[in-house]
Amino acid sequence: MLARPRRTLVKPPAVRAGDLPTSHLGRSMTVKGVLDTDGEVYVHGNVLGRINADKIVVGSGGYVEGDMVARDVRICGRLNGRVFAFNVTLDESANIIGRIFHHTATVAKGARIDGRMPWRPLNYFETFDQPPENQP
Amino acid sequence: MSVFTRPDSKPETGVAPASASPVAPPKPETATVVQAEPKPRPVAAPVTSLAPQSSGGASIISKALKITGQLESSEDIQIDGEVEGDVRAVTVRVGNNAKVKGAVYGDQVELAGTVDGKIEAKKVVLTATARMSGDVIHQDITIQSGAFIDGHCKPEYGKSDRKVIPVHKAS
Repeated sequence: MLARPRRTLVKPPAVRAGDLPTSHLGRSMTVKGVLDTDGEVYVHGNVLGRINADKIVVGSGGYVEGDMVARDVRICGRLNGRVFAFNVTLDESANIIGRIFHHTATVAKGARIDGRMPWRPLNYFETFDQPPENQP
Repeated sequence: MSVFTRPDSKPETGVAPASASPVAPPKPETATVVQAEPKPRPVAAPVTSLAPQSSGGASIISKALKITGQLESSEDIQIDGEVEGDVRAVTVRVGNNAKVKGAVYGDQVELAGTVDGKIEAKKVVLTATARMSGDVIHQDITIQSGAFIDGHCKPEYGKSDRKVIPVHKAS
């Protein structure tokens, strides 16, 4: 595979960053900018910007405005932006405005979604490192 | 990638048998009624039970995380990763291999890593592994043997006309 991106969403299980420490953004935290990690990120505060991670969890008080790129994304809070993830889980308290590009999705009863949830094949997530700026 | 495969064809449970007459009889077969009845979906149960517990206000930027931008908190921040931008919090701890490129504001700043910028805090602790390039504005400073400082240490915290920590409470 030529020109393989630096970090793809598809990682073999051995390489998956399971032992990496998780990052927590507390309730009173506000981050404006880009978060980039190979591990997990828990967002209980506000993020205005992009998040690239292996796993992202937006807590029930969390708010993200911007794009999220990850293998697993779980949202219990609010999101205004896009999700690019293999596995997407939306909890009952989720409130989402935007698009959710996914391969597998679980949506709980009560979740609010204002937008589309386009399904994408596995290789779609292998091809980009950063979220594409203009998606259909 | 067998984890991600999913059966595209699902067993059809809700289909009435072909032998059923198009005109519904007044007393249909009991088996047909049970099958056609919508069952409660078991999907919602695991989703709600796995809800992550809300953490406290303290934030941890782990060593694998790189943030480009501003961080603001009305509680504590522990930084073990890399931050390019300003940090504002009550207590800021910059861990051993952490890197901050920007200003750090707080009530208390404990530095064991690298800061390339300035520190403005009431109480500043520079441990032996600290590496500081820039000014330190403080009221109370502790410098352990081995700490590296390239800059001025000014005991002027709170003496300038501007307010130092305009951290707003998160709603």
